[in-house]
Amino acid sequence: MITFDHISKNFPGVRALDNVSFSVERGEVHGLVGENGAGKSTLIKILSGIITDYEGRIFIDGQAVSFRSPHHAQSLGIATIFQELTMISELPVFENVFLGREPVLWGGIVDRNSMREKSQKVLRYLDSNVDPDTLVGRLSIANQQIVEICKALVLNAKVIVMDEPTSSLTEHEIERLFSLIQRLKDAEITVIYVSHKLEEIFRICDTITVLRDGKCIGSVKRETSHPGEIIRMMVGRSMNERFPPRERKQGEKLLEVRGLSRKGELEDVSFSLYRGEIVGFAGLIGAGRTELARALCGATCPHTGEIQVGQKIFCGFSHPREALQAGISYLPEDRKGEGLVSCLTVRENLVLAILREISSHLWLNNRAESKIVDRFVKNLQIKIYHPDQVVETLSGGNQQKVVISKLLATQSEIFIFDEPTRGVDVGAKYEIYKIMNDLTQEGKGLIFISSELPEILGISDRIYCMKGGRLVKEFYCEEATPESIMYVLTGGK
Amino acid sequence: MNGKKTISWYLFNGVKFREFPILLYILIMVLFFSFTTPGFWAVRNFENLSRQIAVVGIVSTGMTLVVLTGGIDLSVGSILAFSISIGGRGIPLGRPMWIIYPVILLLGTLLGFINGVLITRIAVPALIITLGTMNIFRGITMVITRGIYITPIPPEYTLIGRGYLPFFFLLIVILLFMFVTLRTRLGRNIYAIGGGEQASLYSGVPVVKYKVVVYTLSGFLSAFSGLILVGRSGFIQPQAGVGYEMNAIAAVVIGGTSIFGGSGSVLGTFFGATLMGLILTGLTMQAVDPYWQGLVTGILVVLAISLDSLRQIRGRGQLISKR
Repeated sequence: MITFDHISKNFPGVRALDNVSFSVERGEVHGLVGENGAGKSTLIKILSGIITDYEGRIFIDGQAVSFRSPHHAQSLGIATIFQELTMISELPVFENVFLGREPVLWGGIVDRNSMREKSQKVLRYLDSNVDPDTLVGRLSIANQQIVEICKALVLNAKVIVMDEPTSSLTEHEIERLFSLIQRLKDAEITVIYVSHKLEEIFRICDTITVLRDGKCIGSVKRETSHPGEIIRMMVGRSMNERFPPRERKQGEKLLEVRGLSRKGELEDVSFSLYRGEIVGFAGLIGAGRTELARALCGATCPHTGEIQVGQKIFCGFSHPREALQAGISYLPEDRKGEGLVSCLTVRENLVLAILREISSHLWLNNRAESKIVDRFVKNLQIKIYHPDQVVETLSGGNQQKVVISKLLATQSEIFIFDEPTRGVDVGAKYEIYKIMNDLTQEGKGLIFISSELPEILGISDRIYCMKGGRLVKEFYCEEATPESIMYVLTGGK
Repeated sequence: MNGKKTISWYLFNGVKFREFPILLYILIMVLFFSFTTPGFWAVRNFENLSRQIAVVGIVSTGMTLVVLTGGIDLSVGSILAFSISIGGRGIPLGRPMWIIYPVILLLGTLLGFINGVLITRIAVPALIITLGTMNIFRGITMVITRGIYITPIPPEYTLIGRGYLPFFFLLIVILLFMFVTLRTRLGRNIYAIGGGEQASLYSGVPVVKYKVVVYTLSGFLSAFSGLILVGRSGFIQPQAGVGYEMNAIAAVVIGGTSIFGGSGSVLGTFFGATLMGLILTGLTMQAVDPYWQGLVTGILVVLAISLDSLRQIRGRGQLISKR
């Protein structure tokens, strides 16, 4: 049905897909699994025509195709239902179903009646009681998904790709979705089901393909496999030589968080951090790790709970400035949007958080500024031509070092690193780990959030597992294995 | 710094400003008009030109600060009219100038402050908020004055509008704010907020405070240019400053400041205002129908904005900040 032949895709600094080859059979439910960042979404974007510049070829029924646009992919029979649904909430169901392909009468008048009728027919086939005249924005997520499936069927799609379809559904709705998928299968429609919930994968998929680090690790039949094997395929990689040696020591308590909650984001989170420690936070996307970081650094304010830094107790910060003054600095996950002001220079970015310290009254002290900038550029080996180089022109690793320098300059005691190695090449990753080690050697405490299990395991002293906004388990480094953590994160108790 | 300075570094470092092309255009226009327009080099003409640039130039300086933070202020013309019309009501009552002037400046500052507070409190783009306050401030002015001019005004008020004095004030404002933007914490924060508001916030920049500051400064500068306008014209008119927001935005954009915020300069705006003034006086002296003036300004703005978005696209190849 569909064959991927040596698909590769590079993003600046990362190889998102590396010679991925596998086939999907007609009428099967094909599971696509992998850790965060394994390349699943890149592959989907290629298949749905969003990414059009890639290497390798895709065959549909033996014929080589290259998608020019999402519209083109749809007309070739591939419909994709993204995690963030792509419908227009102000339009009624039937208009969404036919969006971009409205049937017209003579003179270009849209044929609303036939649109309504056809939508109604397909919805009835799907056993849904959604009224085609309702505005999509009024429907539940589950019903919106059904409308998307309806849209795919109206398009005569032969393949429907579902990206994490159950992420915001209730148990009951999941059951309904599964029976719907079964129905699609009976109608010879191929479903590519992307998820990292193994339980679901094993319930409905016929074949399972595992991606890791942009590579296709292999495809297995459900009958001949078991979750343990899949988990090994997802995480298994050698850990030697990837992490600098680390000397462990635990000093006095730096930070204690008690009962931190924020509606819809965090629930009763309590943990502590000691001097000289790296504490890793593992979790899947949406587990609440970034939300926790944002609450600790003053970007959001928790509703209940308290944060104790040294002897001082805070019930949340109202501005990042307050958190910085308390000695907590945050390296955001989104480097471009939240970490750096991309159109400013290295020098300007580096001192952004300490402008008050390097200025006397209102004037900036340029000499003090240059001194600090030169020191960090040298210590962290940031590769630049000149401090006035625009930060956007640096490589991912060097950009990240600029953000880290900015945090170090603040003299904070507690650092929260959220995905510090994302979009960074292997060599720079090693250097970032080393910087983290050096920091803890100086007695600072580090909270390390990452979606890559190996690096969490490779460098943390303790590991907290987060799920649904809660801390579900704490591991000491010695007792944690990729399998045990993955087991906790993917649903085991 | 990492030691080595390559040849290209010296080259880039030497040409640090992006205002260079505008300077060239100004030169071309001067040459063009000096050949085609008799009397262009007359002293009187330059005095006129300088005074014309001065009022819009000062408003534009405030606008530059606002645009650099990624915002916009459409109410500058209305603030100008409000300040001089309301503040100037003391003149017929015989209040002395040393009271009237500070009151006018204070009114402008206050209105700018109100703008800033509204923009930071209500999650609506500055464009919409200031579109509203533009009409509100103008409306209040018209209601209070009932559209009546204040004239005549005592001669001491025209002192500030004589000879090259307006231009002198413009130069002072420009120099002062060049210094502010390039050398002070406020300036650095203005660029940072415009370049990336989230990143600035996370770095502990008090974003709200500095936003209020720039709108307040814009209000103050509008009122200040109102003083010069009164000095030049010799009367106070409630319809004063209509359309100034467009001229100011034009000067800012032509001067190379990015409409998206984060890059640009006060010096560029000065050149932008000069270029516009030159073209407009040149056209007037050529006895071109005045209705053409709006057309020419419009074309210039569109050209400048297209250049800006081109720069955004090609900017990725640029190594050294050319601010």
